[in-house]
Amino acid sequence: MAKIQDHIFPLFKLTGNNIRRHPVINLISISIITISMLLLTLYFLGYSNAARIVSSWRADLRIVVYLDDNIDAERMSALKNYCRELDEVLRFDYVSKDQALKNFKVTLGEDASFLTDLPENPLPASLELFLDSAVADVDDVELLARQLQRQVGVDEVAYGSSWLRQLFSLLKTVKYFGVLFAAFLSAVTIFIVASTIRLSLFARRETIRVLHLVGATRSFIALPYLFEGVFQGAVASFLALGLAYAGFRYFKDWLQLQAPQWPIALQLKFFTALPLLLFLLLGTLLGIAGFLLSSRWIRQD
Amino acid sequence: MIRVSHLNKSYNHPDMILKDLSFEVKRGEFVYLSGPSGAGKTTLFRLLFADIKPNSGQIVIDGLDLMRARPSRIASLRRRMGIVFQDYKLIPNCTVFDNVALALEIAGTPRKLIQKTVWQVLKVVGVERQLDRLPVQLSGGEQQRVAIARALVNDPQIILADEPTGNLDYEIANEIMHIFNYINSQGATVVMVTHNRALLQRFKRNVCYLDQGALQAYVWPD
Repeated sequence: MAKIQDHIFPLFKLTGNNIRRHPVINLISISIITISMLLLTLYFLGYSNAARIVSSWRADLRIVVYLDDNIDAERMSALKNYCRELDEVLRFDYVSKDQALKNFKVTLGEDASFLTDLPENPLPASLELFLDSAVADVDDVELLARQLQRQVGVDEVAYGSSWLRQLFSLLKTVKYFGVLFAAFLSAVTIFIVASTIRLSLFARRETIRVLHLVGATRSFIALPYLFEGVFQGAVASFLALGLAYAGFRYFKDWLQLQAPQWPIALQLKFFTALPLLLFLLLGTLLGIAGFLLSSRWIRQD
Repeated sequence: MIRVSHLNKSYNHPDMILKDLSFEVKRGEFVYLSGPSGAGKTTLFRLLFADIKPNSGQIVIDGLDLMRARPSRIASLRRRMGIVFQDYKLIPNCTVFDNVALALEIAGTPRKLIQKTVWQVLKVVGVERQLDRLPVQLSGGEQQRVAIARALVNDPQIILADEPTGNLDYEIANEIMHIFNYINSQGATVVMVTHNRALLQRFKRNVCYLDQGALQAYVWPD
């Protein structure tokens, strides 16, 4: 009685033979998939890091509400209550005129001496609103600022999100471009894998004919090529991820050396386990898709 | 075992290669398909294992109608047949062992049995010492023996052989014929294509004689 391994072992043996006997074809195929996967990996690595860093900047989103100098206590209390009720506001701090001056002096350091000559404190009191990045979209900040501006006792509202909004809009474009880029590279990779498998089929057409003649089924003939596609995709993915990691380490070290005071290098991160697995899976799927495209060349005689 | 009825075949040409051919080969029979060059022997040979399709007519082998059978059934039938080709059709990059083992692997034979069975069949045809050689390192006679070993290794009920002695000298051809006789004596049905009249005289068997695509005679030995 034949066991399942008696059917599977010959397929792996044939796959091994195919790979050993056509090293150049396999090397070309693996190299091309590696390059495609490396481009994809670098692209998504760059995108994910940029998105995360920009998100961390968004977490620092603040709105500063400058108050009228002559705001009374009742109005002040109403304004604080209003801010407390806002979903987007995590917390807020009241900065009095005196505290604002102190802070300003600390910021100016040695240059703060001119402030002592002023007849009165020119700085307004303010409410510093810290926004919840999970709730507040960058687009919402502008709307919120306009609402606050309309409140009685508010002199001016300042927020620094307009540049962030532009950055997010750029990232969104990059994300959509990335999808197109991934689709294009995947299509090219599938085509190349299919072509190399077709070359391999052509080189082994006599062997395939013999296999047909001695009673091999189409699946017996085709499966080693499927395994070959899986092998090429998996090896290429490993190589691409390895190269991407080496490049990432080099870039991070270089950035740290070039700008040690800039914390951005420390924020850069390589893929976690899940995206790594997804990339390996993607490479393997590209190999399988390449096989499927070329498998119609294996006829059942 | 093999029934051919009203078989017609042409290759995109008005002239028929085979014309209304009918004959039957019984289980355990040894039949030569003979005739001059161009008689349609090789075409008939290829039709018998469904390598090509006829224009009309019917071929039934072991109860399977080749014209109607699905590809998987044809593959299954080929696994139960042993086919020997004039040009051997060995896989050049595979060793003698691998070439013969392939037929067993396709049939899903347990791995433990493969080594033993391949060695035994190579011993029967006398090339057991060439186990690790590639076909290109063998003589024509040795390659033919390996091809026969591959055809025999699955213990087939039917052997089809196309000019298996065509490229061989007298002595080796005799040895090959003894092997086929031995297989036949073990119960296998053998259909052998040959145009070698001397062979027909030396090893007398039923002869299906073709000429210009038609069955001219079905001759029994004296």
